[in-house]
Amino acid sequence: MNIRIIPKIDIKKFNLVKGVHLEGLRVLGDPKNFADQYYREGADELIYHDVVASLYQQNNISDLVKRTSKNIFLPMVVGGGIDGIEQVEKILKSGADRIFINSSAIDKPNLIDDIVKHFGSSTLVVSIEFVNIDGKFMCRKDFGREETDKNLIDWAKETLDRGAGELLLTSIDRDGTGSGYDLRASEKIAKYIKSPYILNGGISSLKDIGDILDNSHPSGLAIGSVLHYNNLDSLFSKMGEEGNIDFIKKKTNYKNFKKITIKQIKEFIENKISHA
Amino acid sequence: MHDVSIIDYKMGNLYSVDCALKYVGVKSIITDDLTEIKNSKCIILPGVGAFPEAMKRLKEKKLDQAIKEFNESKKLIIGICLGMQILFSKSHENGTTNGLGLLKGEVKKFDVLDKEKQKQSFNVGWRTVEIKSNNGLNCCMPKKKDEQMYFIHSYHVVPEDYSIQTSTSKFFGNEFTSSVKKNNIEAFQFHPEKSRKEGLTIYKKLKEFL
Amino acid sequence: MKLKTKYNLPEEIIYCSRCVMTNQRPSSLPEYFHKPDREGAHYLNMEKDSKGNYICEACIAHERKIKINWKSREKELLKLLDNHRSKKGEYDCIVPGSGGKDSVYASHILKYKYGMNPLTVTWPPIMYTDYGYKNFKNWIDIGGFDNISFNQNGRIKKLLTKLSVENLLHPFQSFVLGQKSIGPKIALKYKIPLIFYGESEAEYGNPIKELSSQRDTYYWSVKKNEKLYLAGIPVKKLMKDHNLKLGDIDSYLPIKNEDLKTSKMEVHYLGYYLKWVPQEAYYYAVEHAKFKPRPFRTQGTYQKYNSIDDKVDDLHYYTTYIKFGYGRASHDAAQEIRNKHLSRDEGIKLIKRFDGEYPDKYINDILQYLDISEEKFNKLCDKFRSPHIWRKTSNGWELKKPIY
Repeated sequence: MNIRIIPKIDIKKFNLVKGVHLEGLRVLGDPKNFADQYYREGADELIYHDVVASLYQQNNISDLVKRTSKNIFLPMVVGGGIDGIEQVEKILKSGADRIFINSSAIDKPNLIDDIVKHFGSSTLVVSIEFVNIDGKFMCRKDFGREETDKNLIDWAKETLDRGAGELLLTSIDRDGTGSGYDLRASEKIAKYIKSPYILNGGISSLKDIGDILDNSHPSGLAIGSVLHYNNLDSLFSKMGEEGNIDFIKKKTNYKNFKKITIKQIKEFIENKISHA
Repeated sequence: MHDVSIIDYKMGNLYSVDCALKYVGVKSIITDDLTEIKNSKCIILPGVGAFPEAMKRLKEKKLDQAIKEFNESKKLIIGICLGMQILFSKSHENGTTNGLGLLKGEVKKFDVLDKEKQKQSFNVGWRTVEIKSNNGLNCCMPKKKDEQMYFIHSYHVVPEDYSIQTSTSKFFGNEFTSSVKKNNIEAFQFHPEKSRKEGLTIYKKLKEFL
Repeated sequence: MKLKTKYNLPEEIIYCSRCVMTNQRPSSLPEYFHKPDREGAHYLNMEKDSKGNYICEACIAHERKIKINWKSREKELLKLLDNHRSKKGEYDCIVPGSGGKDSVYASHILKYKYGMNPLTVTWPPIMYTDYGYKNFKNWIDIGGFDNISFNQNGRIKKLLTKLSVENLLHPFQSFVLGQKSIGPKIALKYKIPLIFYGESEAEYGNPIKELSSQRDTYYWSVKKNEKLYLAGIPVKKLMKDHNLKLGDIDSYLPIKNEDLKTSKMEVHYLGYYLKWVPQEAYYYAVEHAKFKPRPFRTQGTYQKYNSIDDKVDDLHYYTTYIKFGYGRASHDAAQEIRNKHLSRDEGIKLIKRFDGEYPDKYINDILQYLDISEEKFNKLCDKFRSPHIWRKTSNGWELKKPIY
């Protein structure tokens, strides 16, 4: 089974932004430029996440999705603040193949059933963002802002029972840190979740990927910081002066994320699997 | 009038199919207008979702009739994913539903066991496609092992007559039909408009054909 | 009928047309001059621009900031540091802080980029949050600094905090006082004449006055026999009523002018020399000291990484909402708007959604600690609401003129 390599592009308005622990909206460039680059490099899929949608309670990225569809022929998963059938339809019409929901699913689990009924399981990805509290994995909603009493495994199972096709599981503790995925979490996920799942958060080296594959079997790996910081787009002038653009103006390095390409990742995984 | 009509029964990612066609220079339109459809040189039936719902919507808009009539004209019909499945006799998704019946065979759910003996039925991702014959658009499907196509489905077609099978793929080791061709009908289980430049070659071939 | 306003607040409520701040926002008044009626207090000044729109002082000050030549400012900093840097690696500057993103940034950049030898100095929060304490430890252990933490006499801390709630509805005063005085006090004792804070008060309080590199001594040093107040009570009366000696409360009081003169102490804002972008300070702190934000949204605002180590801080912002009609979301949004991270419209949406949120996560802990009942606290709040800001309805209290 191939493991899809999926660049995750977080978006605020017209910019690709990247935070740490789902906090901070540092602008790194034009999302379409990054998407083009990743398409050229052989990405298997793209995730577009409107990260301020739940904050302002509106999703704004259909235009970007449309523009991307015109010349990037890859499957796309799109989400952020989606909480109704009409929104799902609008985003699918713009060229997305699948959508993901998080907060709205926690607030109204019936929405999962609704979306599945209207559009099919294969259209729905449920995104779960969780923190590790002394070995207990607790879900958050509202882009890491609000606590819930749901734990990762029980909630994941419930969403799958209701018909979700695939899961996107984000470790908030590791997001943006480049310190690898939470391996206690991936171990537990592998043990209890038998449907396809994408792991996201902290993956930044071949070693990180090797560690994940040693204890779990994800259907996909979502990757953010290490790809974005190695592909910094200095054409920000197109976007105007909005947002936290101080970093990109300075043109400095951050965390010295080691250079790693999508091609290298895929070769590494193929080697690892064939030697298994 | 457009060369290609993409049948709009409100299911699936029609926009991407349209983008792919326009990208290769084909005059296409997303439509449910019966006249537009009748006068096209080719129709594409895309789709993602559930079989019974798809048939229901097609019937509501009288599109099922339109497609059958189009078939009589022997002009090219292309099915993609769910669109491929609807062309067949019937499906066992959520009960038993009749399809358009332009191709003989049934649509069944994947029911395979993985390494850990867990049931798996959702095929999502890139898979190698093994070409059985290349007498149609499928002639441009990739022959190299590392060029793959993108699949996303839980049900697959089982044709009555395997000679219409033009390629197969594997899901947890089990072989299934990934594309078919019979006369003027050609269909793909994978999504050519989501399969990078390899998938685009199918649309390019369509342009040549037109 | 003329509306009564409390604390000499301006009668008409005006919002800045650029950011979202209100003219009801108090400018810096040294806490040791803070009396219940806020005599002598000033509030955020609004000026009209050429089109007749109101702009607040903080926005005006920020506009000047944009025109600054940061290269020459850095040169000034280098010159200052060269004069103080210890060749032997002994402490040559004091950086007060608690391991929040700003003190991590300031201390780290002074040490690891500019080769200084800071001694970090901490006045601990009134009530540590556990993740805040972890950040403090990471600052010291991962960031790599020597640190002196002054653990205050718990009885006195509790007394002062309780009194300042009752007299001023200001639960944070004891912390503010201590935090501002600890730097100079340690500097005196260790004979280190250079103190660095992060941003300047201009960002928050007294903008035009504070655009200089050094903190006006008005805010941290007093004449010998100056009449001072703690918890709104004259110090002498406080000592008498509660049987305290001067030594019991001295750590909350500022240093004297003569000590300042002899020591030649200088308090500088690093934000004058280096462009300060709070959100970037967060990224820096994560990168260099494994700083972690709060694991859930701070009540009253939309963020998770600003001032998260004291449970009482959340309550503090709630009381500013009661007294002046603006809360933590207003405060955070105004700053982000000035830094162009948010549009004004976004700021207003956030204020509407989060401002003045009741801080129920920690309020019970705090009230229990202070032996104040929730009922008494709510009565106090009602007492401190100014009638020109609030109206009482059947649904509770309502802002008369919110920004949204």
